[in-house]
Amino acid sequence: MLDFLKKVFSQSETSSRHKANERLRVVLTHDRMNVSAQVMNDLKTEIIEVIARHFDIEGVPEVNLITEGRNSALDINIPIKGR
Amino acid sequence: MDKKLPESKVIVVTSGKGGVGKTTTVANVSSALARMGYKVVVMDLDIGLKKLDLLLGLENRVVYDIVQVIEGECTLKQALVKDKRFPCLHMLPAAQTRNKEDITPDQVKEVCEQLKADYDFIFIDCPAGIEQGFKNAIAAANKAIVITNPEVSAVRDADRIIGMLESAQFDDIELVVNRLRPEMVHAGNMLSIEDLVEHLCIDLLGVVPEDKSVIISTNKGEPIILNEKAAAATAFNNIALRLSGQEVDFPNFEEESVWHKLKMFSRNFFPNL
Ligand SMILES: Nc1ncnc2c1ncn2[C@@H]1O[C@H](COP(=O)(O)OP(=O)(O)O)[C@@H](O)[C@H]1O
Ligand SMILES: [Mg+2]
Repeated sequence: MLDFLKKVFSQSETSSRHKANERLRVVLTHDRMNVSAQVMNDLKTEIIEVIARHFDIEGVPEVNLITEGRNSALDINIPIKGR
Repeated sequence: MDKKLPESKVIVVTSGKGGVGKTTTVANVSSALARMGYKVVVMDLDIGLKKLDLLLGLENRVVYDIVQVIEGECTLKQALVKDKRFPCLHMLPAAQTRNKEDITPDQVKEVCEQLKADYDFIFIDCPAGIEQGFKNAIAAANKAIVITNPEVSAVRDADRIIGMLESAQFDDIELVVNRLRPEMVHAGNMLSIEDLVEHLCIDLLGVVPEDKSVIISTNKGEPIILNEKAAAATAFNNIALRLSGQEVDFPNFEEESVWHKLKMFSRNFFPNL
């Protein structure tokens, strides 16, 4: 019952406030680093390519932008196949 | 009357985006501080698009402007316009017919240095944009107030400005959210104060609700703080109090807590509880 009520009263996923927050999160991250979403995608592909030249990549490589306060960092996680 | 603070505060009010309420904030917060007995001077650096004189209702008393001071056509004292309602409030007008490029950051600093001797608070009304006018406005300040509206484009510009202020070594940057409509936040149709502070990561100085009486006051050329009943008047007064060093709680404008909502909800169903 409590959970149900909380859901009813909290920020719904379809609200325009929720949308605004999601859009701002993306836009501000790119603005602060001065790169577009396209550049981020290219960078991701290039990083994986460079690693693949020297190692066998296993599984799904991940390159993500993470933010903490006003600072951002690239979080790169590329699993490499052992012998 | 003499100044009270040993160290003058030079505060630039800026936003990036135009029309979010910089001039309204400067006019009202400065009047409120002057009413509290601080010596306050407001400097209009929106050269070419000045508006502060109109908001304060001082447009007919302007004789000289800041460019004339800088070019030596008059003294600083001659250019300062006094406000009859608030004896502690003076205004240094912007030039209407000149460009923002006609003055330099060093010249603004020089004028501020002279003003520091007589005033507790020096407010600088910054033009929109990030060009020369912005650089002039931030040069002399030791504190920045960033104004935003709860709206995506205004927040984006505020973020850009905060980044530029940080690059310019500002370590005292505070946020004022203007034109908040609590009922829209409730309905999930407006960014909340919490959202804005989370995105911009700076301290909150004030929250000013959307208030029709702002427009009425502007029509009359009277600061809204003279209208005690207006919600915006309380908000601007609170900002002035916080700037003077007092702690003032933020009234809970928007979202009531889930707990409060539950109470209201159950009261509707069990009125005898
Ligand atoms: N809290 C408010 N409620 C209603 N109208 C407001 C409020 N704050 C500002 N305004 C209106 O918004 C307009 C722009 O304000 P202004 O202070 O001139 O912005 P800026 O100096 O940032 O360009 C003005 O017409 C003003 O009356
Ligand atoms: Mg203005």
